[in-house]
Amino acid sequence: MKRGLGLCVGLGLLLAGSVAFAQEDVNIGYSGLPYKSSGESNTGIQLNEGTLLHAGVGVEAGYDTNVFYANTDAKGSGIIRVLPYAEITNATRNGPVSRTLVFDVRGGFQYRHYTSNDVEVQKYSDAWNPSGGASLSFGGGQIGFGIADAFARIEDAPYAGQGGIVGASVLERNNNQASAEVRWAPGGGRLTATLRYTNMVDFYGQSYDYANAVTNYLMVDAAWKWLPKTAVFLNAQQGYVYYFNNTANKSNSFPLSVTVGLRGLLTEKTSATVAVGYTNGFYQTGGTTNGFLGNTYANLALTVRLTQLSRFVVGARHDFINSVISNFAYQDAAYVSYIQQIAGRLGVDLSARYAHLDYQGQVVDPVQVGRVDNFVQVGGIVDYFLRNWAYCGVGYSLMANSSNVSIATYVKQQVFARLGVTY
Amino acid sequence: MVKTKLLLASMFIGSTVFAQGPAPSSPAAPAPENATNSAVDLSVKQRPTLTPAEMVTQSKEYLQGMAQVVKRIQTLQEEAKRQKDIIRLNCVTDKLVQARVNEQIAEQSMSALQENVAKNDVGGQTHEFTRLTIVNQKVTVVGAEAENCIGEDLSFVGATRVDVEVDQNIPQYDPTQPGSPFIDVTRPPEASPVQ
Repeated sequence: MKRGLGLCVGLGLLLAGSVAFAQEDVNIGYSGLPYKSSGESNTGIQLNEGTLLHAGVGVEAGYDTNVFYANTDAKGSGIIRVLPYAEITNATRNGPVSRTLVFDVRGGFQYRHYTSNDVEVQKYSDAWNPSGGASLSFGGGQIGFGIADAFARIEDAPYAGQGGIVGASVLERNNNQASAEVRWAPGGGRLTATLRYTNMVDFYGQSYDYANAVTNYLMVDAAWKWLPKTAVFLNAQQGYVYYFNNTANKSNSFPLSVTVGLRGLLTEKTSATVAVGYTNGFYQTGGTTNGFLGNTYANLALTVRLTQLSRFVVGARHDFINSVISNFAYQDAAYVSYIQQIAGRLGVDLSARYAHLDYQGQVVDPVQVGRVDNFVQVGGIVDYFLRNWAYCGVGYSLMANSSNVSIATYVKQQVFARLGVTY
Repeated sequence: MVKTKLLLASMFIGSTVFAQGPAPSSPAAPAPENATNSAVDLSVKQRPTLTPAEMVTQSKEYLQGMAQVVKRIQTLQEEAKRQKDIIRLNCVTDKLVQARVNEQIAEQSMSALQENVAKNDVGGQTHEFTRLTIVNQKVTVVGAEAENCIGEDLSFVGATRVDVEVDQNIPQYDPTQPGSPFIDVTRPPEASPVQ
């Protein structure tokens, strides 16, 4: 009966427009087809004594009400998505084989097809979106190391611009993120420290190629556990965002954030992440974060495990994000997620998010100076598990943006019927 | 008057005698062969029936037995040391000390017995032989006690085991650690009226 949350939570977010939050898999918005193992026991093919192969494939078919994210004259289309994946990890079907060495390698390949006969839609009817990742973690109780790499490519239909004119080129984004970290927990583990370096390379297609960039982050995190699973922490991150085409459109920056807060359990069923601190984008040109609110980072996430088969998450965040269409955007976001398993077979995943984005600094398109977006995202999945490795269900996705730039206002809904195996 | 008193006395005694029941029959115990002799010796023997030579021989056997007991206890002590069983070692060592002390007493008594035999001192012989007998019994008892010394195998309940019941609602991962970086695959916002 413990599998319920695993079944739901394990359903991936990749390439489905959802956003990950917090420390565990809290996916906001419609979580697409699973792209990795759900973590269920008694699944997988045991390759040898300590290597387990998971594999799966999912198919979903439905309808997209607004292929081009248009404000007016939205074009709808039937949509089909197929996602096969494979994953190898050092485990057995009963669980991990080692606490000191854990590795995981996975890859997936999503195919998306629009079925509409519309000429514009036909131009972007097929998309191939590979993704993959590998991670290795090793070490004992006092010192540990971890390295990871993840790659994802998204290819999607472009935005419809003024008068519903569709962009000339496909929207494409290739993102690779590598990280290496050292974890140190001297003595009894009350004090823990993490030093992490993250490198992210973002390559866009023709539409946004001016925003191709490499981002480097160095993070130092120190936490003191005043209870076994509750800690106060100090976190400092210094980044360097470098644009390959550092022209008038984009500005390099050195984002810094220093936060303090609390992470961990408040009660047996409730955990929280509370963080406040100072943040600054330090953009070289075109304006940077400023003012009290502009340089304030605040994050609150509350997770309540109502029962062993349900989980409720609510959170809010104020910070700034690096933006493709301007230097940055102040972001105020709130989100909620609810997962419930029913009768060991039915999994329900509902989530919603609201984000207020205030684009600032140097704006790429002068028409969009002062742009403010109010973005709403809703996702829902109901899956019935025929076996612990086979499911069928339905999904719903809503993405709506209300902007003071008219062309950026849209409502997009998708409904799916889905079927798959995750063995 | 005197006759009257005699008569009353005779009647009282007579009635008292005849009021008693018949005398109980004696238990049917087998009559000893010399029962007719009625000279049953119920006194405690004050002197052994052994001859001086027999006493010396018997005493030597006692000493040999005691030496074997001491040797056996030493073996038990070595075993306890090998097993690092401190509880049993303490017990056996205590018994070994007692056995050795009694063995020394027995050796002294043996010497004294031999002297008394040489001097033909019957009282001294009896005293020393009695002493040897008692010491031998003590050593025998101590040897039995050493065999019964209990070690950790019975008195030690094993390594302390702590069973912790964790509420199943508590997450198994460590929520105090910073979250892992996640790859950003969000669709970028619309950049210009016409892409």
